[in-house]
Amino acid sequence: MSVAMPNVNETWTGKILEVTLGAGPDKGGTRGKTVTVGGETTLPFLHFEGEIPNKPVVAVEVRDRAPDDWSELLVKAWGDSLKDPAAWAAKAEGLGAEIIALSLDSAHPERGNTGAKEARETVRQVLKATSLPLIIYGPGQPDKDNEVLVAAAEEAAGERVALGNCEEKNYRTVVAAALANNQVVIAKTPIDVNLAKQLNVLIGDMRLDRDRILIDPTTGALGYGLEYTYSVMERVRLAALTGDSALQQPLIVTAGYEAWRAKEARTNDGVPTQWGDWAKRAVLWEANTAVTLLETGADILVLRHPETIPLVKRAIAGLMTRAGA
Amino acid sequence: MSPGDGTSMDDGNGRQCLVRLEPSEQTVYIAFGGLLEEAITQAGLSVPLPCGGQGRCGRCVVQVREGTVRRRSALRLSEDDIEQGYALACQTLIEGDLTVWVPPHEELVQRLEAGDRAEKAAPEVMLCDHAAKPWVARYQTTVEPPSMGDNTPDLERLQRELARQHGLRDVRPTLAALAKLPTVLREGEWTVTVEIEQGDWAAPDGPYRLLDVLPGSAETRVLGLAIDIGTTSVATYLGDLETGELVDHASAFNSQIARGEDVISRIIYARQPEHRQELQERVITTINALVDEMLARQNLMPERIALATVAGNTTMIHLFLGLEPQYIRTEPYIPAAGKFPPVPAVSLGLHMRPEALVDCLPVVGAYVGGDITAGLLRTGMHEQEAVTLFIDVGTNGEMVLGNSDWLITCACSAGPAFEGAGATSGTPAVTGAIEQVWIDPRSLEPTWATLGDAPPIGICGSGMISLLGEMMITGVIDKGGRIAGHGRSPRVRRGEEGPEYVIVWAAETGAGDKDIVLTETDIQNLLRAKAAIYAGATVLCESVGLAITDVERVLIGGGFGRHIDVEKAIQIGLLPDMPWEQFTYLGNTSIQGAYLALTCREGRAQADELANKMTYLELSADGRFMDAFTSALFIPHTDESRFPSVQRALAEARPERVSHHD
Amino acid sequence: MALSGLAIYKMLPQTNCKECGFPTCLAFSMKLAARQVELSACPHVSEETKTQLDSASAPPIRLISLGKDGHKLEVGNETVIFRHEKTFYHQPGLIYRLADSLDDQEFTHRLDQVADYGVERVGMDLRPDGVAVQDSSGSADTFAARVGQVAGKGLAIILMSSDPATMEAGLKAAQGKEPLIYAADSGNWQPMADLAKKYGAPLAVLGAGGDLEALAALAEQVAGYGVENLVLDPGARGWSDSLGALTRMRRAAIKKNFRPLGYPVITFPGEGSEDPREEAMLASQFIDRYASLIVMDDFEPAALYSLLTLRQNIYTDPQKPIQVTPGLYEIGDPKGDSPLLVTTNFSLTYFSVAGEVEGSGRPAWLLVADSEGMSVLTAWAAGKFDAERIAKAVKAAEVPDKISHKSIVIPGFVASISGDLEEELAGWQILVGPREAIGIPSYLRQLAKG
Repeated sequence: MSVAMPNVNETWTGKILEVTLGAGPDKGGTRGKTVTVGGETTLPFLHFEGEIPNKPVVAVEVRDRAPDDWSELLVKAWGDSLKDPAAWAAKAEGLGAEIIALSLDSAHPERGNTGAKEARETVRQVLKATSLPLIIYGPGQPDKDNEVLVAAAEEAAGERVALGNCEEKNYRTVVAAALANNQVVIAKTPIDVNLAKQLNVLIGDMRLDRDRILIDPTTGALGYGLEYTYSVMERVRLAALTGDSALQQPLIVTAGYEAWRAKEARTNDGVPTQWGDWAKRAVLWEANTAVTLLETGADILVLRHPETIPLVKRAIAGLMTRAGA
Repeated sequence: MSPGDGTSMDDGNGRQCLVRLEPSEQTVYIAFGGLLEEAITQAGLSVPLPCGGQGRCGRCVVQVREGTVRRRSALRLSEDDIEQGYALACQTLIEGDLTVWVPPHEELVQRLEAGDRAEKAAPEVMLCDHAAKPWVARYQTTVEPPSMGDNTPDLERLQRELARQHGLRDVRPTLAALAKLPTVLREGEWTVTVEIEQGDWAAPDGPYRLLDVLPGSAETRVLGLAIDIGTTSVATYLGDLETGELVDHASAFNSQIARGEDVISRIIYARQPEHRQELQERVITTINALVDEMLARQNLMPERIALATVAGNTTMIHLFLGLEPQYIRTEPYIPAAGKFPPVPAVSLGLHMRPEALVDCLPVVGAYVGGDITAGLLRTGMHEQEAVTLFIDVGTNGEMVLGNSDWLITCACSAGPAFEGAGATSGTPAVTGAIEQVWIDPRSLEPTWATLGDAPPIGICGSGMISLLGEMMITGVIDKGGRIAGHGRSPRVRRGEEGPEYVIVWAAETGAGDKDIVLTETDIQNLLRAKAAIYAGATVLCESVGLAITDVERVLIGGGFGRHIDVEKAIQIGLLPDMPWEQFTYLGNTSIQGAYLALTCREGRAQADELANKMTYLELSADGRFMDAFTSALFIPHTDESRFPSVQRALAEARPERVSHHD
Repeated sequence: MALSGLAIYKMLPQTNCKECGFPTCLAFSMKLAARQVELSACPHVSEETKTQLDSASAPPIRLISLGKDGHKLEVGNETVIFRHEKTFYHQPGLIYRLADSLDDQEFTHRLDQVADYGVERVGMDLRPDGVAVQDSSGSADTFAARVGQVAGKGLAIILMSSDPATMEAGLKAAQGKEPLIYAADSGNWQPMADLAKKYGAPLAVLGAGGDLEALAALAEQVAGYGVENLVLDPGARGWSDSLGALTRMRRAAIKKNFRPLGYPVITFPGEGSEDPREEAMLASQFIDRYASLIVMDDFEPAALYSLLTLRQNIYTDPQKPIQVTPGLYEIGDPKGDSPLLVTTNFSLTYFSVAGEVEGSGRPAWLLVADSEGMSVLTAWAAGKFDAERIAKAVKAAEVPDKISHKSIVIPGFVASISGDLEEELAGWQILVGPREAIGIPSYLRQLAKG
């Protein structure tokens, strides 16, 4: 006996744009490896319904200045490499990173106030130390972003790096730098599908190619607003697949940054015994944040802990296996 | 210039076309493919080009009566217009010999206003069927004089005749009327005119009250007072209760403004009983001043006013009656009453007959008041099948959706931005208020029009709508409302409060002391106001399973001034993108509805039914509303496909804009 | 399919009699459409309408309960594919599997671990829901003894055996606990269904390798036989196979109203992973994507706590405005003498204020008061951002311990509360900041100048 199963496949009219980070010598850059994300014609990992030509990738966070507020678990795991962005990047590549997310943190007025010159030097060093594509983050303060991101974009001209964060308050500068140096921007808005779209429209009005934008919907960590990001990402992806051209870019999430801000990952001081072993908990906190973000459409996951990298890559491999195979 | 003088006879490569201009009867030669505007200028005539010849403002419209032209853009023209040969001089190419009508300026302005504005279309006073008995009416009666054989007292004597001659039974006099009665009966030689109050909304069938008695056949009229108590302004209509005829009207700012601009501030202020009393006194003083003004003008006594009907938002009614308003403000938002008992005027101190009743129209909820019940009554949408959206664009941004079957309402606290309050150079819609603006996309120079053609003193709601639309189209602001045109004109500058655009330099203003500007903060305020209204409308529709496009008519009430520029209001995303003819601007609907309830028994009964029938949707802390609101906080909207006409306008304006950007 | 409020309204008497407790018939209809009220609240509805509305409101996924009374685990009854469309209603049960072949001490230890685990998070008591006893011994008596041990713990119970005789022994031992029978497959479904009938227990139906047509056929057969309280196991395991199967089942039930698959789904993350950490991650996928029962093999508090947290997150009501946790936030790297600003806990308000402070380059303390997710003006209007609440937030966040001054900047929109706030916070200086967040950088600049 058999019952006819109704056809539940959706016919999506939209497609996620493919965005490439990094450029090899043939394209005017020096990268040994490039990464292309996006291109999906269905919701995350629904192989029965559409194409998922590119797997999600893992980026690892590297800072130009040894962080003084990181959990001791992270400090121990990375060791001395924290003091040298080039060494850090090389180590991350060795541990399985597919992109280096370099943060020019020292440019922040409160954390060193370094300028364009130092930014150029850091970018040059890191480019030399790794074959991977780069994401370059400014310190998140418009005047300084203006200064160091523009310099970094120029220094990395031709490398097709992603510049972040490009936000409502500074988008004009960041987009102009990307336009001038053929880079990509990370358009970041606070957990809202409308705001994400609005920023993309504003960037589009400046005539930056649509495939030079990544959407950062702002990540909430597990226990700290993850469900909001979950729903916003689902809505972004649904809008994209139903044909909204202003939301068809790949999604980037900062799972590491957010998970390690959570008390559960950061510390073991005065926590209930029910929370379990700290090291296990902390890594799982980051990994489980990442899993939920994968399920809802993350294309690039920026992570922090060395142990999380293979865990998340294993989940990606499992999800990329075609169903029924 | 005539064809004979040869100056335009240059025969280049192109064919020369003969253009005849009416009514001036001038002719000029223009090369094939030339602009109509060129021909007009060459003839020494002019058409206004406030938008810089971009085909956006439609001010240069002319009529091609004979010949062939090609319209590059017909954005501002309807199919009918094109059929009749209308064309925009700045967008129309000459492709043959032509006869063109260049209208005189006034005619042009008029045509345009009829075309794209929802004017205050309806009469301000709606007459009703007065065959139905008025709330207070006069009757003339002759009474048998008493005698030793018939020693019935005066009152019973009058009552007997009222019953016999007019079918009025059990008429009870007020003490004041009874006190006058013996003298008046005799003074009028047993013929008197009586004023009878024929029930009130709570007891429509009586008992009837004898309010006044006058000797003989008195020529006086029975007057009623309609009052609209707005948070910002108070309006009054004085009318004849028996004929419905409007006698006079007056309006003024609500003097409670001194204690806060919005209802919440006033509720907070009223926490102390003496403050509550102060607010009551303030609004009654405002009303009395208006009444006195009208009575003086009409040379009438306060006693002639035999009934007052009041419409106002829930807070205003509470403060007017001296009721505790605190529970309106906090969850679960409960007013003291939905339907208010009629109260004698003397207890409020209104300048009218002390015994006459003051009737406050019923409220629906804490934030949908009697002003909306009245407004709805005025619209008549509850009697029609067409799904209608009625928006009262005031501080509280109330709206009603529905038809003869159902009605649903909400309030979305838009803030006073469109009433001219809160903005750096904002003003109410008074003489000298800028009500329309165009911006030249190249020079960013504005052209503006003021109410009463007076020197500009500030910018009112309709002016802000118009200005915002122009700023967006010309790229002075980006779609997020941030000023983006830095360096393109001295008018785009960084002011004390951040980036701003200068509409009028100080020297050209009425006061001559300060530039008239719109700051980025003002823009954010306006965006929030328009987003709240649009979001309220969409959520209201979605709550009953409709899309906003299912709405067949939109009725707009509020104190914008003379008109609302529907095109610009759509351009900024305040109103949904629908054909202009589906919009009607009704002006102050609250006072009109109050007047209807005052002069029409059936109208008053309907007001009760309406308040009972309206379903109130609470939007505060509703996730759907916040979402719709955020998505409307963009120009015209995050989902631009909801605004196809704006997309077209942008597509036409954008090439120009980009070439100047880069 | 669900009816709109207006569609329901047209079927009601439209008298606005208010006897249902709502002010109008339309208001009642909208509540009905949102499933927030029962039709029986209307005393005047016709029988005909009742029948029509009842069939329209039948849930596309059946509600199934395990256990009874105080220890009831309810799953299913979901109505949407994406939580933002409405909400996910019934959290998936987290169940730990114990083999009956474990020795006494080990079994007792593991059982107690599950039964004793409880943790508080944002005011809610979170715990695992139950235990699945797996027949590994092959002995009905051993199985029954272990089930009896579990039955006293107040947990939901799943009985796992393919042998009907063993299953019946377990059912007897769990008498009155309404355990889930796992599982009926194409070979044993009839005796298993008989047991489900006899003991009034819900029954899991097991498919093979994710073949949903076969699973649907079997479920229909069992339902036709008279057992309607079903739970489905599509038989798919691992990451993408499970995701595909569960997604198709959810879509078939909700979008196509396909009854044979309109039941809660049970999953076994441990069977599709290489190690306990992968099991925990796969369990996360099942919480995100459509599982109603998640049977875990490895008990690890660190993993359990993260899963309980995730479950709590995903099953909150997304219609409520996004909120940030009230408290004192550090923007930049503030010192004791850095300025203190206060705002509400509506997320967009927080983000725009925090963003502007950050952008100003001047570190500051940002106190977020609990305004129930409302923005500044709305909260102020509703009395949820007043002097009292701000003072409470100052105390709750132990502000005086962290900063060395006594000045607080309030949003310009609520300037009117400064007087009240001076009373609530004796000795404090109340400063009125800008109305709009975009005014913050220049405000902070001036503040620094003094």
